[in-house]
Amino acid sequence: MSEQTKKENVVLHAKSLSKSYSIVDAPDLKVLNQVNITLHESSSLSIRGDSGCGKSTLLNLLARLEPADEGTIFWGEKRIAAASKPLAVEASWRAKHVGVVYQSYYLIPELNVLENVLMSVRLSGLSIAEYEPRAKELLDQMGVESKSKQIPSKLSGGERQRVAIARALVNRPKVILADEPTGNLDERTGAEIMKLLLNASAKEKTSLILVTHNPSFARATDETSILKDGKLIYE
Amino acid sequence: MKSAWPLFLAWKQLFPSQKKVSFFSLLAIVGVALGVNVMIVVVAFMQGFQQKFRSDIIDAQGHARAVPLKKQVDWKKDTKKISLQPEVEKVSPYIQGHLLLQNRDYHAVPFSMGIDPSQSDGVLPLNQFLQKGFIPIQGYESRDVTPVPTTDLLDDDVVFITQQVANRLGVRSATALLFDDQNDSSEKGRVLVEQLDPYVESDEWKIEFIDEDKYNIRNQQGSIDINCTFNQPLEDLGWGYPKFKLVEGNKPFSKGDQFKFQIFRSSTIEIYSPSMIEKAKSDEMSPPREVRVGGIFQVPWQGFHTDALIGTDRFMEDMRGEENACDGFFIKFQTDYLHDENKLGELCARLEGELEGDWSIIPWFIENAWFFDLLKFEEYLMVLIMIPIGLVAAFAIAIALMTTVLRKIREIGLLIAMGGTRFSVGMIFCMQGFIIGSLGAFIGCGMALTFIRYRDSLMSFIVTRIAGEDGQAGVTQFYDFYSLEVSYPWESEQSMITFLTFIFFAIGVSTLAGLLPAWRASRMNPAEALRSE
Ligand SMILES: Nc1ncnc2c1ncn2[C@@H]1O[C@H](COP(=O)(O)OP(=O)(O)OP(=O)(O)O)[C@@H](O)[C@H]1O
Ligand SMILES: [Mg+2]
Repeated sequence: MSEQTKKENVVLHAKSLSKSYSIVDAPDLKVLNQVNITLHESSSLSIRGDSGCGKSTLLNLLARLEPADEGTIFWGEKRIAAASKPLAVEASWRAKHVGVVYQSYYLIPELNVLENVLMSVRLSGLSIAEYEPRAKELLDQMGVESKSKQIPSKLSGGERQRVAIARALVNRPKVILADEPTGNLDERTGAEIMKLLLNASAKEKTSLILVTHNPSFARATDETSILKDGKLIYE
Repeated sequence: MKSAWPLFLAWKQLFPSQKKVSFFSLLAIVGVALGVNVMIVVVAFMQGFQQKFRSDIIDAQGHARAVPLKKQVDWKKDTKKISLQPEVEKVSPYIQGHLLLQNRDYHAVPFSMGIDPSQSDGVLPLNQFLQKGFIPIQGYESRDVTPVPTTDLLDDDVVFITQQVANRLGVRSATALLFDDQNDSSEKGRVLVEQLDPYVESDEWKIEFIDEDKYNIRNQQGSIDINCTFNQPLEDLGWGYPKFKLVEGNKPFSKGDQFKFQIFRSSTIEIYSPSMIEKAKSDEMSPPREVRVGGIFQVPWQGFHTDALIGTDRFMEDMRGEENACDGFFIKFQTDYLHDENKLGELCARLEGELEGDWSIIPWFIENAWFFDLLKFEEYLMVLIMIPIGLVAAFAIAIALMTTVLRKIREIGLLIAMGGTRFSVGMIFCMQGFIIGSLGAFIGCGMALTFIRYRDSLMSFIVTRIAGEDGQAGVTQFYDFYSLEVSYPWESEQSMITFLTFIFFAIGVSTLAGLLPAWRASRMNPAEALRSE
C-alpha cells in the first residue's frame, strides 16, 4: 500500500493528542500524552487499558465532545485543531458519520425502540421514510425486531444494547466509537453482543474503535492497542 | 426535518410513546388552561358589565345632554333645530330640581325632573322603567293583579317616583288584589284588570256570572251595578274606575262564577318646592301641591339618582313658579352613533356649533366618565392581579422543566454525542414550554367559551349558593348578569382581542419559562454529562 492510497483510506486520524485535567490534589493530571491514532476504512481497532487511564477521554476527544490541549484530528480529509472549541458544523458531521455505543445504553425512555433508532436519522436530517425500512432491518439483524414498539424500560440490558448498536449503525456512519459496550452485561450476552457489533460493522463497512477490558473481545478486532501512561501502544 | 427533531422530542417527552401523557405535562397544561380560562372569563365579564352599563346609561339619559350656557335661550327654537338634524332621532327637553315630598310624617327630597310625556319615551324608556319598579304585594288568600302602570297615566297631578322614595314615604300606586276563588278553574276564562289609573277609589268590585254569557259588575259603594254580555261588554267607565277585561277560556263560565277584587287607591303626597319657600318669605303662604302616585319606577343605571321623581313639564313649571322653563334636553341619535365614541364626540361638537355656542352638548361617556374610569380601573386591577398569578404558574413550569433537564443530563450528553447541537438540545425545553402554553391556551379558550355559553346557569348556581333563592334578586339588581352581553370572539373585535391577548400571554410566558432550562441544557458539557451518574 502506497503512502497516498493509505491516506485516502484513513477515516479517522489523530496526531499528538494531549489532554490533562486539573483536579484538587493533582493540579496537572496528564491523561493523554502525544497520542497518535489511525483508523482505516472498514477496519476495527480495540483499545485496552487500566481503569482511569483515559480511554473514554480519548474517544471523547476523537468525537470532538471536548477540546484537547493540543494535537490535530483528521475526520477523513477534514482537518481539525483538537484544542479548538467544538463547533456546530462538527456536530452535524458527527450526526452523519459517527455512531456511538456506550456501556450504559442511553436509550431515550419516552421513545419506543424504533423511534430510538430513528433518532439518529432525525438528528442528521435524513429522511425518516427512507430510513425506516433500514432501521427495521437492523433491528431484525440484532434480533430485536419484535420489540420495535416496546419502550426501553421494558427491555433487558442485552436487548437495550442491541437497540443502541442498531441506532449507531442506521445512518451508515464511517466510524463507530464503542466505549465498553459489554461492560454492563454478563459474559455470555457480552460475547453475543460483541459478535453482532463486529459482524454488523464489517458488513456495513464501518470502521470501529472498541474500548474494552476483555482481552478476548479485543483480539477479535483487526488491530489491538493498549493505552498506558498517556501513550497508545499498538500491539 | 433537521430543525424538527427538538419539537419531536419535546412532544414525546410530554406525550411519551405508550403512555399518551406524562403526569407533569397534564398538570402543567391544566394549570395553564385554568389560568387562561379565568383571565378570559373575568375580562369578558367585566366588558359585558361595561357594555351593559353603557346601554343602561344611554337608556336613562340618551346619547347626550344639552345644557344652556345662557340664562335666556329660545329652547323651543333650538330643540326644534336639533331635532331636524339627520343624525338625531329624538329630542326631549326637561326641567329639573329638588322637591320636598311629604306623606304624614315622612319626608323625601328626591331629584325631580319634568318631561313632556308625549315626547319623552323616545329618549327615556320610562314604560320599561315602570315595569322594572313594579313589585307586586304578597297577598294572603289573594293575588296582586295590578297592571304595570304606563306613561299614559302621567298628568299634571300625577308623579312617578322611585322605589326608594316610595319606601321612604310609605306610599304606593293604585293596587288591585284578586281574591282566591274556590270555584276558580283554570279551564274557564279569567277577568283581568287592564288599567288602574291614579284616581281610582278604594273599593271592592265583584263580577258575577248570571249564565255562561251574561255577567254583572258592581262595586261595594253601589255606584256601579251593570249587567253585560260578551257581545256587549262593559264600556270604559272612564278615569277613576278600574278597567276590566274578560278573557274566555276553554270551558264556558257558568252561573254563580264570580271574581272579587279589592282595589286600593293610590297614595297622595304633598309637595313643597323652593319657590314656595321664597313666597313664604314674602308672607304669601301657598298650600302644598297634592299629587297622586301614578307608578313606581326604577332606572337600571346605578349612577342615576336612586331618589327621583318624574312629573310632567307643566307640573315642574308650576312648582318652580316659572313659565316656559327648560334646563336642558336629552338627545338620542341614530344607532350608528352608539358605539363610536369619537364620532359621537365630533357630532356633539358640531351641534354645539349649530346652536351658536348657546348650549353645551355633553355626550354620555363624558358625563359618566368617572364611572367608566372606575370600571377601567377595576379591569386593570384584575389584570394586574392576574399577571403575577400567571408568572407564578410560569415559575412552576420553569422549575418542573428544570428538574427534567437535571434528570435528563445523560440523555442530553448522548444527544450531543449523536450530533445534536447545543442550540437544538436547548430548543427541546423551549418547545416543551411552547407546547404546554399552546395546548393550555387552546383548552383554556374552550373552557372560557363553555363558561360564556352557560354563564347564566353557572352564575345563578353560584349566586343562589351565596345569597339563596331570595337574595338572587338583590344581587342581580347590581350585577344583572342575566341580561349581560358577553360576546364570543367571532362576534366582537374587543372579545377577539381579549382572547388573543391571553392566548399570546399564555404561550409567551410558558415559552419563556422553558427558556431558562433550555439555556441550562445547552450549556452542558457533553463529556461530563455522559459521565454523570
Ligand atoms: N472532567 C474531568 N475532570 C477531571 N478529571 C477528569 C475528568 N474527566 C476524566 N477525568 C479523569 O481522567 C482520567 C481518565 O478518565 P477516563 O474516563 O478517560 O478513564 P477510562 O480509561 O475510560 O476509565 P474506565 O475504564 O474506568 O472507564 C480519570 O482519572 C478521570 O478521573
Ligand atoms: Mg471509560
